[in-house]
Amino acid sequence: MKIMRTPRSLDLEITSRCNLRCQYCSHFTSEGDVEDDLPLAEWLAFFEELKRCAVIDVCLQGGEPFFREDFKELLQGVVRNRMRFSILTNGTLITDEMASFLASTGRCNAVQVSIDGSVPFTHDAFRGEGNFRRALNGLRCLLRHGLSATVRVTIHRKNVLDLEAVAKFLLEEVGLPSFSTNAASHFGLCRKNSEQVQLTVEERSLAMETLLKLSRKYPCRIEAQAGPLAEATGWIEMEQARCQDKDQLPNRGYLTACGGVMSKMAIRADGIMIPCAQLPHMELGRINRDDLGEVWRKNSEFNRLRDRVKIPLTAFDYCRTCDYANYCTGNCPALAHTMSHDAWCPSPEGCLKRFLEAGGWLPRSNMSSNK
Amino acid sequence: MADKTKPIANAELILREEFDDWAVLFDPDSGNGFGLSPTSVFVWKLLDGRHTEEDIVEELRRNFDDVPEDAEGHIREFVQDLVSRGFAGYEIKAL
Repeated sequence: MKIMRTPRSLDLEITSRCNLRCQYCSHFTSEGDVEDDLPLAEWLAFFEELKRCAVIDVCLQGGEPFFREDFKELLQGVVRNRMRFSILTNGTLITDEMASFLASTGRCNAVQVSIDGSVPFTHDAFRGEGNFRRALNGLRCLLRHGLSATVRVTIHRKNVLDLEAVAKFLLEEVGLPSFSTNAASHFGLCRKNSEQVQLTVEERSLAMETLLKLSRKYPCRIEAQAGPLAEATGWIEMEQARCQDKDQLPNRGYLTACGGVMSKMAIRADGIMIPCAQLPHMELGRINRDDLGEVWRKNSEFNRLRDRVKIPLTAFDYCRTCDYANYCTGNCPALAHTMSHDAWCPSPEGCLKRFLEAGGWLPRSNMSSNK
Repeated sequence: MADKTKPIANAELILREEFDDWAVLFDPDSGNGFGLSPTSVFVWKLLDGRHTEEDIVEELRRNFDDVPEDAEGHIREFVQDLVSRGFAGYEIKAL
């Protein structure tokens, strides 16, 4: 397998701290929830290594990136070392002055703000009172300064009936070109609060139907790489392949779900190198001690993760008799790990067979035929 | 005054060598990336203000087989394209 000499991008958890405690936060209580943040000097030294490695961009995340008091100095280090950046944030700490600073760098790819509702009730239900208004203020500051501001809507039990209003609010009232969706998943705090937060099978089916309808109403303006919309699209394709008796879909039938490990990796807030922010237990090395390029190319665990794509789904008992095995990717390795403590197996959460067995249904208007 | 015989690569750009000597030339200010073939990468690395276009062709012939007769024209065109995009320039000597 060919591997690039160095990663193209990195996800940097620049802090483990946050001003909020959202009930489905993937960070808190995970192995990435570390005691101490790296000091500025360590990050700045690491950015010089990223420049030598010709890394193109970094995604600053946390915790809450804007919670760092030295955020501007840190960002200046990114820019000085010829990189571009994006930021994942809850939006509540963004001021007009900070947005102006971000715009002045000329290197901002995007700032993604989490907004989960069209009204305070649905957003604040799991994020805390007053945070809808604060996040929206932050988003509007970004837009005022001409930054590429995006919104991620995390779908959960309290906003699943609000999705049409969310789309109208974000696309028509706020005027965003698009937004993306996912769902509260079995990471971090969500594991503890799963019953209150995570969609039931019925709610998941309903969310898929609603999101597909909204995608037709707002073409190319609602995106998803995970959650009900992504599942609906992927599962409908699988069901159609099954109905047409196709042998296999391209690049399916093996654990091919995530290509992230081929172009990027992540750094925990304590400087530990990990393959992905959602696989924080998998420690590969430490910044400013281990050579990034060596770890990237030679770490055996990292390469074993890349080799997941060689594992056929038929190697697993549950998949062997599944009608969808040749159309399936096995889904997110991080979800596989968090649910079954093994990243080298399919994720139960993204399994169509399990979903249907539990009483879930695919949006019928999108199916060309049933068999 | 600019010495227009020895081009220099713009140091603000990133040359990302990825697979099999192919590379991406990335401009962090615009966010644009351009694919470079192994030959272009070789030429890019010689844009150091010390090599003329003739020197570069000579180096190419020393390091690659089957370099075409009209290579110098291609190199000149490539360098001029880089200069017009702001990816390369010439040293300006103090008067």
